[in-house]
Amino acid sequence: MKGHEHDQSFIAEALPVFICEAQEQIERLEQLLLGLEDAPDDRELLDALFRCAHTVKGSAGMFGLDRVVAFTHHVETLLDRLREGLLALTPEVSTLLLQCNDEIRTLVAAAQAPGDEDDRALQARAALVLRLQAACGEVAPAVSAAASPAAPAAAPDDASEWQIAVRFGGDTFRNGMDPLAILNYLGGLGTLTHVVCDLAAVPALEDMDPEHCHLGFEFGLVTALGRDAIESAFSFVRDDCTLQLVAPAVAGGAAIAECVATPPPGAVPRDDAATSPRAAEAVPKAQHKQRDGGGADDHRYIRVQADRLDAVINLLGELVIASAGASLLARQSRQGTLIEANQQIGSLVEEIRNGTLQLRMVPIGETFARFRRVVRDTAAELGKDVAFDIVGGETELDKSMVERIADPLMHLVRNALDHGLEKAEERVAAGKPAQGRLTLTACHESGSIVLRIVDDGRGIQRDKVLARAWERGLVERGTTPPEAEILKLIFEPGFSTADKVTNLSGRGVGMDVVRRNIEALRGTVAIASEPGQGSRIEIRLPLTLAIIDGFLVGVGPSKFIFPLDTVVEVIENRPTATRLDTRGRSVVELRGRVLPVVSLRTLYALDSPAPERSSVVVIQSGAQRCGVMVDHLLGQHQTVIKPLGRMFASLRGISGSSILGNGEVALIFDVPALAELASASPSAQPCTVGEPS
Amino acid sequence: MPQPLVLPPELTIYGVGDLRRGWLEWLAALPPAAADAGPLRVDASAVAEVDGAGLQLLQALAHSAARERRGFIIDEPSGVLAAACQALGLDALLAGAAPTGAAA
Repeated sequence: MKGHEHDQSFIAEALPVFICEAQEQIERLEQLLLGLEDAPDDRELLDALFRCAHTVKGSAGMFGLDRVVAFTHHVETLLDRLREGLLALTPEVSTLLLQCNDEIRTLVAAAQAPGDEDDRALQARAALVLRLQAACGEVAPAVSAAASPAAPAAAPDDASEWQIAVRFGGDTFRNGMDPLAILNYLGGLGTLTHVVCDLAAVPALEDMDPEHCHLGFEFGLVTALGRDAIESAFSFVRDDCTLQLVAPAVAGGAAIAECVATPPPGAVPRDDAATSPRAAEAVPKAQHKQRDGGGADDHRYIRVQADRLDAVINLLGELVIASAGASLLARQSRQGTLIEANQQIGSLVEEIRNGTLQLRMVPIGETFARFRRVVRDTAAELGKDVAFDIVGGETELDKSMVERIADPLMHLVRNALDHGLEKAEERVAAGKPAQGRLTLTACHESGSIVLRIVDDGRGIQRDKVLARAWERGLVERGTTPPEAEILKLIFEPGFSTADKVTNLSGRGVGMDVVRRNIEALRGTVAIASEPGQGSRIEIRLPLTLAIIDGFLVGVGPSKFIFPLDTVVEVIENRPTATRLDTRGRSVVELRGRVLPVVSLRTLYALDSPAPERSSVVVIQSGAQRCGVMVDHLLGQHQTVIKPLGRMFASLRGISGSSILGNGEVALIFDVPALAELASASPSAQPCTVGEPS
Repeated sequence: MPQPLVLPPELTIYGVGDLRRGWLEWLAALPPAAADAGPLRVDASAVAEVDGAGLQLLQALAHSAARERRGFIIDEPSGVLAAACQALGLDALLAGAAPTGAAA
């Protein structure tokens, strides 16, 4: 090999990509394993599983990650047994494979920082390998009973003759592979018999590209090894060759065409090849294409570093502000053409904004899918039988949001498993089906994304919650807040419903942290629960953290912004004279219905005198509508969200700020909180409990 | 009797491009095939290293010879070449091979 240093630098460069891709494969392995638990007979899943493991092993081999290769090899052997029908996928085997997958993940992660591993890790891995071998070994006696007619029983201990037909791809030599070496390697696995080279496929000297591989062979291999071991000899040329293996039991001249490894279209086409060398050349390519089309892992994606994308979005924020400033100046200059030009720039900026934000949207399903494993393992640990459903996994959400919501979601899911769902016997005693049900759903709803965690467990016991709240001093002893308020107490700091802190949900992270995390994302969390019937936790999040369409309003000299999608309508230019209570609340009539309204001037104690006429912006939060009294309606505004300083953290109803084109600061409303302020009954003092005043 | 083609010690992918050109020149320089033209002879005694690409090229040469209706004989194949031919089922290449008796 020439250029050893070159190879080294190539490996160093490509390793992160390998690790990233291997992690994806490992993730996929896990999903496939979990999917296979539900459908143990699904041949396609099993094949995909095998391919995944094989890909990890193959590419790890290229990078010289021997630990990964050696370990994955054992996993592959077990998968192969499964594939040949010699072994059934029992829950134990599935658990073992999942654990092995975790081990592969650890090994791949360790490839980033190579070094000697400690004995414990080595021992743990050796133990896994032993279990894998045991799982494979157990099969041997049961072979004849378990083997299905389609998968011939290859008694592993007896050497028998496999029939192999292989046609190497045209690029085999150029890729640094050598059929001679592969056949020699196979010779080491057993005894090669009747090696026949497809001479006709090799063109004459005049017509040939000497670096193009035209070689194809048929031969027998007498060996005690299984399909997996034989195929592994071809692992580096697997994508570019047509390989057919016929197991010993059915090996016969005619059977070759029917064999399983690859579909017949690529079968060695002797006659065609004899007349035209091109035909032989075309075959492996066609084969290759077919594999690509068939595999579900053919994505047309470009990998982009997340921070590059973030940098673009930051710049975009600046662009939006600058463009708003320019159009303001244009309007002040009263030059028609300048205003027009600025409007055009403005609309282009808006399109770019939407397009760029779209780049960051990812389906939430990937995050949800991770919970399958959590639910499976947690339920097993707790001895509960739980069916886990995911609805709306394709719903898209800003990537940074997805990352930051994963932990709170995980906590809520664990909580539901630990505290919500009962054990089978309890459920049966309560007249419910023995299997608990936990559902994660996601959907878009009026500019937000709504995530729900629904279980059919025992629900939240209000008396217990109340007792705990009294005990912790969250509520004055003896007073009973309204029903809805009791449930909210579980999100208060210092509240923990668990009698004992369990390994699962009591990791020192309370529901208050969950709420805080969600609120930090400008989201809300609500809980509903029916004793004995289950609970439903609803998380509502904005679609993005960066830029929104806003509706700009003015109260005196102050400017405020509503997220545009929460604005239902406006009642313009009505007389201001409405009697307000001390907190600025009142009601107005809107098409025969009573609408609670709140005056910003009173609510935030703004000094400017009230004008004679004002407008009411009608906003919607969940199912609730209310009105907000403002002085001026200033129209739609692209809003780059900036966080509020710590000083304003306690400000009710405000979620952030934005800089306007003229440099003024506008405050962005937290609409659900504002709606709560507008419509809460005056006597109730919600949420003051436990909050710093 | 034309000069035999002497194979280099290294018959591998790294040299097949040049070898093909050289062999084609050698073929072109041969006197036109007459009825009494003897077989093409290749001296393979020096071959010390061979791979699939090299063997493929040798097979292509055999095809070219056949196209010219000439016999094709590999003289004194080295042990390495003989083993490689056998491993890839190309024993026929050595069928006419002389003295060393490597052709089984």
